[in-house]
Amino acid sequence: MTTTHLSAFRGRISVLVAPKAMWVALALSTLLLTITAASLMSGSYPIDLPGVWQTLVGTPPSDTAQTVVWQFRFPRTLVAAIAGALFGLSGAILQNITRNPLADPSLVGVSQGAGLAVVAAIVVYPDINAGWRPVLAFGGALAVAALIQWIAMQRTGGATMRFILTGIGVAAFISAITSAMLTYGNIDQAQAALGWLAGSIHAVGWVEVKFLSICLALLTPCLMWASRPMAALKLGPEVALGLGVAVRPVRICLITLSVALAAFAVAAVGPLGFVGLVAPHLARRFARCGVGQHLLLTALTGAVMVCLSDYVGRTAFAPIQIPAGILTAILGVPVFLLIVVKIQSPQQL
Amino acid sequence: MLTHLERSDKNTQRCCRIMTHTRVLTIPVVLLTLVFAFGWHIAVGAKTVPLGTVFQALTNYDQSVFDHVIIRDLRMPRAIYAVFVGASLSVAGALMQGVTRNPLADPGILGLLVGASFAVVMAVSFLNLSSPALIPPIAAFGATVTAILVWTIAGVAPGGSTPLTLVLSGAAITAFLGAFITLANLMDQDSFESLRVWLTGTLSGRSIDVLYWSLPWIILGMVLSFAIAGQITALAMGDDTAIGLGINVARVRGTALLAVIALTAASVSIAGPMGFVGLVIPHVVRLFVGADYKRIVPYSAACGAIYLLLVDIVARLILAPVEVSTGIMTAMIGAPFFVWLVRARL
Repeated sequence: MTTTHLSAFRGRISVLVAPKAMWVALALSTLLLTITAASLMSGSYPIDLPGVWQTLVGTPPSDTAQTVVWQFRFPRTLVAAIAGALFGLSGAILQNITRNPLADPSLVGVSQGAGLAVVAAIVVYPDINAGWRPVLAFGGALAVAALIQWIAMQRTGGATMRFILTGIGVAAFISAITSAMLTYGNIDQAQAALGWLAGSIHAVGWVEVKFLSICLALLTPCLMWASRPMAALKLGPEVALGLGVAVRPVRICLITLSVALAAFAVAAVGPLGFVGLVAPHLARRFARCGVGQHLLLTALTGAVMVCLSDYVGRTAFAPIQIPAGILTAILGVPVFLLIVVKIQSPQQL
Repeated sequence: MLTHLERSDKNTQRCCRIMTHTRVLTIPVVLLTLVFAFGWHIAVGAKTVPLGTVFQALTNYDQSVFDHVIIRDLRMPRAIYAVFVGASLSVAGALMQGVTRNPLADPGILGLLVGASFAVVMAVSFLNLSSPALIPPIAAFGATVTAILVWTIAGVAPGGSTPLTLVLSGAAITAFLGAFITLANLMDQDSFESLRVWLTGTLSGRSIDVLYWSLPWIILGMVLSFAIAGQITALAMGDDTAIGLGINVARVRGTALLAVIALTAASVSIAGPMGFVGLVIPHVVRLFVGADYKRIVPYSAACGAIYLLLVDIVARLILAPVEVSTGIMTAMIGAPFFVWLVRARL
């Protein structure tokens, strides 16, 4: 891989940049913008491209266009993009620190933990403030992550494989409790929770956009800090220790970070499966580069994936809306199987 | 000083002795428990019926007694479903564990249940095939395709079909088909209404016709399982050992697959996807009767029936008057067991 060396502040901050990765990032951003435009244009009230542009800059062609774009389509597209980026980043961190190509927040039960906490709150305290949702989701996800780590770490050897299998078991258990909660709960609330659990983005507004933007803005500096120790941890705990990384605390911080990213995304759009698994792998296919740039590409890939899923799910069988979570699962599973089959040696599992 | 070999030999002998002397699971004990669980299952519910009345209704039916009508028309079918489904799934799980030498094998975990359900959902909502005679063959077709798919994927993966690759491809197929089932639900809400509860795994609300049409499949599966049980014991020791013992490995495998598919298809037709039953019971049975499949298969059938009766009692009582789906309960009990198995066996 060819890299260019950039430095600033007399070499105090310096990064290696792979030019190809930057081109890929540019291409992905263009793709994201195209999907956003398409998504703003189409729907039951079609608007042409100049119309969308005029609405966005403040001179809408009609009041309907103003409402449709600003109240419904624009926040929805933004939420899809940001949530996709968060899921992708969460998966990338989890894969790097567990050194397991199959780690994904929805496969190992982290997303389900967030889902259960929210559903339990909806069922037990029906008039709970929606603002508590992210907090609950984070708490549930963190509890599940700690549980899986605790169970999987009890014995030595083959730890990553046990991590995944434990996660699958825990995910099944939590899904069963969630279903039981839904049978027990009030039917209207259960219906609302069901749509959210399928990973649906149709009910979001500017509140979610604000919330997710704040999350992204707060967590990005953490990620920039984390990219260096993460690059070392990718080589294994022994090497990382040799390179001067305090492995245990850094691991805990990174897992918390990954869980937080997934939990906040789940709180906004529900547990979207397989984005965190697929986006990091696709990003790695697009360009070979360092951890920092890989995270950037992963975020963009995740955003493109979820935006596209939402757009297709919304328009393909209109007026029926297919939740984005279903499309990400249909897209993600073949990629997942490809990863399992393509892994070079059984030791990597 | 004992050499390592002698010591392990002594250990084996001691184990065998313990197994034979403390035989808790004997045929009378199991059958008595089964009868008692069956009676208890019928007795509890919205209106508790005394056990005496239950046995009276079963042996000496009187149409003018209200309790007898409840028992015969409402509660007994459900108890019978529980017996057949529990027995079928447990035997299917035992066969899968023996043939694949995989402690985590189960019709649910390896995707067969969701494959069968997927086929049924598609047939009912898009082809309008809801005749009870057609449901078992459709489910069997779905289970067959899924089984072949899961095994192919796991076999292509590096290291071959290990427990890990099998579980992973099973989980992936489950997620994939699950997404399509949700999709079918959204596309066709009305015809889906009747399937929604069935899809969580339930013993209530199916007409008795489905049981009649599923019964031949269960009998076929059971006969095949009992016939090859002895050969499975040899197969569980490894292909080379089995060949050395003069067993046609490919034929036993094929027969086992046929039996598993017949049993899975029948139980999905009756009760929908009921996860983890086939995982838990064979392991528990193995603790008591040892590694001989000639004993594991029949005891799994009986204990599976008892287990599902008891789980269904809990499912009906735990949040009464609301009923929790039986499939949810089996998952809540079975999933922690799966996690424990992963920790203890892998």
